Amino acid sequence: MAALLRGLRAGRAIRGLGSVVAAPTATTPQCRSLRRSFHCAALRLQDESKSDKPPSSSSTTYHEHYQAHTTEQYTTAASQGDSASDPAAEEASRPNTSYQDQSGEQGEEYETEEQLQARILTAALEFVPQHGWSMEAIAAGAETLGLSSASTGMFYNGAGDLVLHFIAQCNSQLTEILAEQHKQVQLGQAEPKKTADFLRDAVETRLRMYIPYIETWPQAMSILLLPHNIPDSLKHLSTLVDDIWYYAGDRSTDMNWYTKRAALTGIYNTTELVMVQDSSPDFQDTWNFLDNRIQDVVNMASTAKQVQSTGEAVVQGLMGAAVTLKNLTGVNQRR
Amino acid sequence: MAAPMRLLVRRVIRLSHRNIHVSAAGASGRSGCCWGTSPCRCFSDDRNTHFGFETVPEAEKAKRVYKVFENVAQKYDVMNDAMSLGIHRLWKDTLLHVMHPQPGARLLDVGGGTGDIAFRFLEYVCSQQERQKRRATRSMQTPSWQDISNNYSTEDEDGPRESRAVVCDINKEMLKVGKQKADSMGIGAGLSWVVGDAEELPFDDDQFDIYTIAFGIRNVTHIDQALQEALRVLKPGGRFMCLEFSKVTNPVLARLYDAYSFQMIPVLGEVIAGDWKSYQYLVESIRKFPDQEEFKHMIEDAGFYCVQYYNFTGGVVALHSGFKL
Repeated sequence: MAALLRGLRAGRAIRGLGSVVAAPTATTPQCRSLRRSFHCAALRLQDESKSDKPPSSSSTTYHEHYQAHTTEQYTTAASQGDSASDPAAEEASRPNTSYQDQSGEQGEEYETEEQLQARILTAALEFVPQHGWSMEAIAAGAETLGLSSASTGMFYNGAGDLVLHFIAQCNSQLTEILAEQHKQVQLGQAEPKKTADFLRDAVETRLRMYIPYIETWPQAMSILLLPHNIPDSLKHLSTLVDDIWYYAGDRSTDMNWYTKRAALTGIYNTTELVMVQDSSPDFQDTWNFLDNRIQDVVNMASTAKQVQSTGEAVVQGLMGAAVTLKNLTGVNQRR
Repeated sequence: MAAPMRLLVRRVIRLSHRNIHVSAAGASGRSGCCWGTSPCRCFSDDRNTHFGFETVPEAEKAKRVYKVFENVAQKYDVMNDAMSLGIHRLWKDTLLHVMHPQPGARLLDVGGGTGDIAFRFLEYVCSQQERQKRRATRSMQTPSWQDISNNYSTEDEDGPRESRAVVCDINKEMLKVGKQKADSMGIGAGLSWVVGDAEELPFDDDQFDIYTIAFGIRNVTHIDQALQEALRVLKPGGRFMCLEFSKVTNPVLARLYDAYSFQMIPVLGEVIAGDWKSYQYLVESIRKFPDQEEFKHMIEDAGFYCVQYYNFTGGVVALHSGFKL
């Protein structure tokens, strides 16, 4: 199967080369480049056949080479290449997607750089209590995966990358939990909670994910406040709050959308700060604080409604008094 | 700069090795008919390459490169300072900052003749380790009884891993100068000096965490072979870093740079090191080297990932970095 694929690829390569050769003028440099490309294609096929390394790395490099190579060929034959390059570019892109769809060893081990970085950062999390949120933790994580500590150079943001990855991971875990609960309610297997309770449980679940790292969490918070990290941390915070409100059932489309999210952001941030310096058993003080804050918000909402209706009543009363006064003083009468 | 010289020497030795293999083909005849610039393919192995702006057979280039470096080895560092006005130190310091090596890392510095990169690497790792130790002692200033008893039980584990730097160069003269420098600076631990060719490194696979080549790859005859060798000796996750002169992006700066290169540097070479031609070769070889994007593609072709480059001094020097994943 692999050999058949290789043969197909070689056939495509030669066909691609053939369409360039078919061009009218073939000067010496082009001949040389064609020869070089044949040579390179042959070398690559040889490399593939004798390499013992995981096929994924060679297959990905082959794809990159193949694409880079076909584009290279067509730039050297630019004058003739325009009509020929488009079908060839499609040809070049097709093997890539078809290869990914293939089952077998290649599909499982194929991994992008982002996936590898995510794996390294996840492995680094277990070293955070020991080294803090720093490059040393990432280096230790890379080493557990069998990579050299020099691979930490891939993370240009250093510790910021680690903290942001952790936050994103926590957010996605929370979303899964909330979606699961939502499904339970939809299926009728659980009672829908009141908004205040739902918010409290969601925030508590989310903050409990910090408990293993609570010693070093102040360091992480300070990293998140660095200027170049602020856009990313704000983005994560806003998606978190939005998700919680969505699963709480908020579908508002007016100012309430903003006020609700602002309120929850305030609650979340203040509770996080309380949690960082809380020393009560199982953070009981933090959860009490959270309860009180949510109660405040609920009270404030009902108070706001009361104030509004009272205000309307007061205004009506004043208007009535003004009209009565005008009647009494005779200003309203027509002369 | 001396770096191209080092590469020249390396190439010379490599070519001399190849000479031994191809000597049966008749060296004298080759030098006679293949001296010209036309693409003369007298023998299958004998190709031409550029030596600065000249075109020479690879065998000749190797010899000339070797002679160049043999001449300038003693004055190498002085010339570096004179030609770059001392800025080369900043470039090398920035290389180390970007590298940010962790304690316990192993470095291979190819073409590192006089050892600049290796010395900086060892200093950096030492200061990192000291900082870690200080942090550890600060956090342990009020240890609980539990911590103290833990410390006693773990006293006989190995200490922090040692970082090692290996300096590899094709030219023995340059290595000799480097060893003298190391002795005078008192740096001895963790440093080794090896004679070797960048296209055929005398090391096993998967040995090093970091591979650096500073101002050396420009003079390698087959750059792709050197890149393949780098990929081979690096551990998985290892980093390839190449500091090299490159194309200046700013046109105004480019004109100034060209004027300075072609007018001043050979003169400095004549005055300080007594060798005009070597430094003429130096500035010409800079112009023949591919630019940042092209070199980045070459590195990606060799099989490195996450390849990136940083321009220093407006593009006069570029640092390319890639990972073996």
